[in-house]
Amino acid sequence: MKDKIFGVLQRVGRSFMLPIAILPVAGLFLGIGGSFTNETMLEAYGLLGIMGPGTIIYAILQVLNSAGSVVFDNLPLIFAIGVAIGMAKQEKEVSALSAVIAFFVMHATIGAMINDFGAPDLSGATASVLGINSLQMGVFGGIIVGLGVAALHNRFYKIQLPQVLSFFSGTRFVPIISAAVYLLVGIAMYFIWPVIQTGINALGAFVLASGYAGTWLYGFIERALIPFGLHHVFYIPFWQTALGGTAMVGGTLVEGAQNIFFAELATPGIAHFSVEATRFMAGKFPLMIFGLPGAAFALYRCAKPENRKAVGGLLLSAALTSMLTGITEPLEFTFLFVAPAMYIVHCVFAGASYMIMHILNVGVGLTFSGGLIDLTLFGIMQGNAKTSWLWIPVVGVVYFIVYYLVFSFMIKKFDYKTPGRDDSEIKLYTRKDVNAKNAAGGEASAGGDNELSRQIMLGLGGKANISDVDCCITRLRCTVHDASKVDQQLLRETGASGVICKGQGVQIVYGPRVSNIKTDLEAYLSSPESDKAEAAGAPAAAAETAPAAAASGKAIVIASPLSGRVIPLEEVADGVFSEKMVGDGFAVEPADNQVYAPADCEVTTVFGTRHAIGLTTPEGCELLIHLGIDTVQLNGAPFTINIKEGDTLKKGDLIGSFDEKAILDAGYRTVTPVVVTNSDAYTSFRLLKTGDTAHGEDTLSVE
Amino acid sequence: MKTFNYEITDPIGIHARPAGQLVKAAKEFQSRITIEHNGKQTEATRLMSLMGLGVRHGSTITVTAEGPDEEEAAARMLVLLQEIL
Repeated sequence: MKDKIFGVLQRVGRSFMLPIAILPVAGLFLGIGGSFTNETMLEAYGLLGIMGPGTIIYAILQVLNSAGSVVFDNLPLIFAIGVAIGMAKQEKEVSALSAVIAFFVMHATIGAMINDFGAPDLSGATASVLGINSLQMGVFGGIIVGLGVAALHNRFYKIQLPQVLSFFSGTRFVPIISAAVYLLVGIAMYFIWPVIQTGINALGAFVLASGYAGTWLYGFIERALIPFGLHHVFYIPFWQTALGGTAMVGGTLVEGAQNIFFAELATPGIAHFSVEATRFMAGKFPLMIFGLPGAAFALYRCAKPENRKAVGGLLLSAALTSMLTGITEPLEFTFLFVAPAMYIVHCVFAGASYMIMHILNVGVGLTFSGGLIDLTLFGIMQGNAKTSWLWIPVVGVVYFIVYYLVFSFMIKKFDYKTPGRDDSEIKLYTRKDVNAKNAAGGEASAGGDNELSRQIMLGLGGKANISDVDCCITRLRCTVHDASKVDQQLLRETGASGVICKGQGVQIVYGPRVSNIKTDLEAYLSSPESDKAEAAGAPAAAAETAPAAAASGKAIVIASPLSGRVIPLEEVADGVFSEKMVGDGFAVEPADNQVYAPADCEVTTVFGTRHAIGLTTPEGCELLIHLGIDTVQLNGAPFTINIKEGDTLKKGDLIGSFDEKAILDAGYRTVTPVVVTNSDAYTSFRLLKTGDTAHGEDTLSVE
Repeated sequence: MKTFNYEITDPIGIHARPAGQLVKAAKEFQSRITIEHNGKQTEATRLMSLMGLGVRHGSTITVTAEGPDEEEAAARMLVLLQEIL
């Protein structure tokens, strides 16, 4: 169970990578554009003439500013789409479209509820989301949509509806159900979200009431809200309203921390910028320029050596973004989801950074965030006398070291799967693995679908002969390279009501269920299994009993799923397994009652009586683990199986256990055959080990 | 093409032992032998999918043989089914 939650969290984290990839660029646009178009700042430096409003430079910077802002303003939608794509198993483009629809529907619903029943009585509770006056839910709103839509998508993208409605079957059903579900979610959110929002506001009020400790808390909360995208809601009142203090500057009353700072910046004769204002800003500098790069260095050093190059690129760009612009999300999100505890430590340090800057009377403000750009403009260029900015690098160096040491310690101590420590994360991007994964996904969907896809493929003259596959409402429309290779008879046998060949175009008429057939065929064609099926026979021979998988030429090694004594199948002496009727393999006389995955594999079948499990390796090797002999009679009682059909297992994952005594008492044997059921596809079975064997030890080589 | 229906009388249905025997018998013929149950169809030579059909006591399966020796194949399958299932 724990592993499962962990696995899901990891996939969620990975699915954030696509939207995060845009943040550094958007951050640079916004950082440069934002800093240099602040009129107060331009006025302070006397640059209004060269790059003030109306000049070409100003216009260009405005464009940069807008191009960056639009990404940040719409991050919730971008996350909704990114997460839906990342979490969907197949037909990802459909889940992306559905996420957009669900996002629209949810916010439109909330907007209408606000119209009808009024907005919640909270300041900052509502915001314009894509032009809809809705609740300010931040990135969290997008993630709710992305995760939910992906779950709906994975559940329904192959749904078969009754004939009358079959046009809406399969992927076309996903946007429909998403819209319906998110209408309800929107209504629910109208009532639930303000409660969460109230909590946030209460925290803000509390912080202001206390001094240094309050500054620490402010920093802690601001950081802790970033995952929810709510930090803007939190700090903007401090920066822009009386919540962040009021001050008389140059004879006028100014409200809000940032406003006070810029008023002081623009007023000659200020001895030192007031820390009462910058306490809400200056803490970002040591954190973002020094602390987080230290964390990135720790992540890099903790990655496996072979992964460091790939991880290094990711971390370096994220660290530079944090240092230059003060955009920290790309870096923070790389560890937030795999190691929430590290993020909590990060929040504690962040609070401390604000507090230390407050204590040391550092008066550096900022326009946008705490990167080098803002430090240069509002710290260094103002001089140490007015800002005490020299404390920033001093504290910063300490922060770098502390982050590096603490993060390295935590990663190693708790074995967090930060980037580059988890093999699958980096490997995911090689073509071969993607193929293997698709094959596993294809296997999960009943053998019948693949069988049909295989026949269609062979009927079309094999994989190499298929140029493209598409469908309209009733027909599978394919283009082939050589029309003479098409076997119309075979295609008709796949259940088609007609086959039409014109030049290189082949239309196979199936009726409205064709969109599911197309989905299956595409999944099948992109799986390695289709290559093997092709090797098994030319189209002419395919009508006969061609095995689905053929020898791939590379040996597959199967480990023993149990600790115990490995014996040749013949010695089972039961008349079925011992005669290799089920297939070749080996058997184990168990010494222990725990069963483990004998190889990386997908779970094809868990029999209703739990006494046998069917597995398929990524190479297409089908394995049957049959717990005991004739134990089907026990109707499942002595067996505990922790996996289900469609699960992907790593070698050594626990499959389940059995009650040895119950089996023996009932008069059955516990000897467990492990058999390759598609033995015909292979030519050589070699036992690598017999006698006493631990589970996980290599036992059988199949070629 | 030869087709016949058969109702399973075995209390447990198609499990490893009878499935193994069916596969072995089906492989002796050149004809393509398929078994259909509840809308799912599979070749009788594929053990895992045969077991995956989920055939239980009282279910009816449809056996189809097609090929040069389809007569003998269908007859042999029927005899075998009566013996073991």
